[in-house]
Amino acid sequence: MAAPRRAWLVFGFSTEEAAGEPGPGPGPRRLEPGPGGIRRVWPAWSYVVVETGAGLEVQSAGQRRRLRGWSEALPSETHLVLRGATVARAWRRGAGLGAPAWSRALPRGLPWQPLPLLPGGFATPRPPFYTTLPAGLRARRLALGNEHVLVLGANGELHAWGGGRHGQLGHGTLESEAQPRLVEALAGVPMRAVAAGGWHSASVSEAGDLYVWGWNESGQLALPCKALAEERAQGENAGAGTAALTPHREQPVAEAAAFISIQALPALLDLPQEPEVSEVSCGSRHTAAVTRGGELYTWGWGKYGQLGHGDTTSSDQPQRVEHLVAEGLWAEAVVCGPWTTYVCVQEPPGPQCVPSPPAACSEDPAAARTSPSPTLPSAPQDRTRTDSAAPD
Amino acid sequence: MAAPAEAAAPAAAPAVSGALWAEVWALLPGTEEELTLALSGEVDDCVQPLLRRARGLLYGAAGRPCGEEAAAALRRLGDILRDYSWEKLNAGPWREISKAWRQVYTYGCLFGALAEVAAGRPVAPAVRLCDMGLLMGASVLDNVLARLVRVLQRQLPREQRRGAAALAAEVRPEGPDPPRRPPLPSPRGGGSAGPALAAAGPTTVLQSVWTEPRPAPAVRPEDALPRLRCPSLEHFRDNYLIPQKPVVLEGIMDHWPCMKKWSVDYFCQIAGCRTVPVELGTRYTDEEWSQKLMTVSDFISQYIVNEKSVGYLAQHQLFDQIPELKEDINIPDYCCLGEGDEDHITINAWFGPQGTISPLHQDPQQNFLAQVFGRKYIRLYSPQDSENLYPHESQILHNTSQLFCFFIG
Repeated sequence: MAAPRRAWLVFGFSTEEAAGEPGPGPGPRRLEPGPGGIRRVWPAWSYVVVETGAGLEVQSAGQRRRLRGWSEALPSETHLVLRGATVARAWRRGAGLGAPAWSRALPRGLPWQPLPLLPGGFATPRPPFYTTLPAGLRARRLALGNEHVLVLGANGELHAWGGGRHGQLGHGTLESEAQPRLVEALAGVPMRAVAAGGWHSASVSEAGDLYVWGWNESGQLALPCKALAEERAQGENAGAGTAALTPHREQPVAEAAAFISIQALPALLDLPQEPEVSEVSCGSRHTAAVTRGGELYTWGWGKYGQLGHGDTTSSDQPQRVEHLVAEGLWAEAVVCGPWTTYVCVQEPPGPQCVPSPPAACSEDPAAARTSPSPTLPSAPQDRTRTDSAAPD
Repeated sequence: MAAPAEAAAPAAAPAVSGALWAEVWALLPGTEEELTLALSGEVDDCVQPLLRRARGLLYGAAGRPCGEEAAAALRRLGDILRDYSWEKLNAGPWREISKAWRQVYTYGCLFGALAEVAAGRPVAPAVRLCDMGLLMGASVLDNVLARLVRVLQRQLPREQRRGAAALAAEVRPEGPDPPRRPPLPSPRGGGSAGPALAAAGPTTVLQSVWTEPRPAPAVRPEDALPRLRCPSLEHFRDNYLIPQKPVVLEGIMDHWPCMKKWSVDYFCQIAGCRTVPVELGTRYTDEEWSQKLMTVSDFISQYIVNEKSVGYLAQHQLFDQIPELKEDINIPDYCCLGEGDEDHITINAWFGPQGTISPLHQDPQQNFLAQVFGRKYIRLYSPQDSENLYPHESQILHNTSQLFCFFIG
């Protein structure tokens, strides 16, 4: 039986355009697999770090650069944080990989946690690079927004802190919080995943329910968005070129109460046909979710094609990415960059095969090692890797 | 009578675009090297290559309007620069946003507006882009956006006239017209309209939709503020400013041009196509309160003339954005008595229908309120009473009282 082939597709803003060059269009684009395929991706705005069979690689406009000896990345436009077996470092972008701007030794023997989590705290791809976490938090996962931080704890509880002006903390106010604070509204619902966008947040419960909160200015919460409704209405009011001068027509704008600009408490989001959600990821102003049935749904800001529907319209309603369905691709994982959506897909199997279940993304490193070599686990997931190579 | 709102203005013929382009081009430095793209601080590394590429597209055509492809690429770069910097502008409290990021946003607006002109498209969207840069950006190239928008506005008179005529047509009321009094004085009595309007006198048409203004609330004599006619600077300072006693000063504005010139028509004419921030909702402490950007014409037609719901052009530095209006007002001499120098004087405009409410609040600076037309009811409390006025606990509303003030009558 042929092993299922996996590939990463990307929709949205290209690294070429980020460099000011003509772009290849909104996608979908297929990431070049490199040696041994791509296992995980960590996208920034103008570049992406990928993990191939041969280690980490930075991909930017037309350039690929190996980063030997590192296992994980946390990129931003100002700095790149890399983590190896014994140390984590940060370099200023554009300064090469010479003297790091920050370095921290990592004690061995501790259970692995994915970046941004580090022993005792978490990393940020900008100063101060490392911040301690209260030990009692028992952080399992951590997500960074533009101004806020979300932590998923051992029992599925969420803590949120940082800037809260857009309701992204989920505490029901617009106040900021200096210290981790429990998201009380979700206290009774154990979560298994958490994601942070620019100014919004999302989490998936153990039962596969999706919760969203924060800023809805482009429909990224899949709640009615006034700006989008007006755009749609204007589009229907046949093209007057001088839109700014056309006297306001009486638009049937629904009650003001129906539009939501900020959702300061987590809200349950039902996808069409209410499937179970397995993963969620947030870009600057959009959201993407993968269901147990292998479908990808996106919503929010779409100006650069990041929603993957082949156009550049934004949406305040979750829509399935039909390209995957049309091509028979099974979505396994999704990771959003600021203006991009990366999706790991399983390609249609050969004629006599049954598609292997997404459970290949197991949390048990042993399972990964015993699987046949062409099978690549989907990313991101837990994998303890023994890095023998010394970091650069 | 008035022509109904017309369909899309035809795309400008190349000849018009050429003449306009020459005028626009003259606003920019002569050579690519002179357009320094300097910023007042550090920004992310990804920004400079985008700025340079946009500049290259602009100067690549050596003074002629860029070809279609270059204009499209320039437009795209404008979008990217605006969208990228927009995220920085929203990344924290406004006062902490670096000037450099606001300048990047301005460049995004500049390149976007230039791309619209280069492509020969209608000018109004380019005007809006300039306004976005003026509202949210920071000056670059010696405030090039203000100079650019002036040039572009001159292209609009014909289109604007059409827009304003349609505005007049739209407010024609259905059904019988009971006699009503307009709250805004018409500058020309019942006579002909301003030059911008081709239809019959707007006063006649607009009059019918304005509702009877509420009677002014009664003020007890013991509560009334003292009124002085043109006191000396020293008298004002010693008797009112220093002891922090409010006072009404009369006669100061008598000769300001705005007293004769300002009207709804005048605003439409001077600034109808300009984009301004409008507050929607009864008061800013309400949950449904929001802000929206719209043109002055739209604001007037939706919230001044028709009054479907409350919209208030409030606390906006309109005179920085539209310098022509600044020439209609003066800065009272008394302002020089304040702390700090002239740079610390900010001038805000307040333009709204009846029924706007600003909740009880405290401003960080001393204020003069200059009422040009209409009227405003103001109730003042001493700062010593602050605790008794229950300021909100939240940081955002800490300068605002939790109390409603209802006026009687």
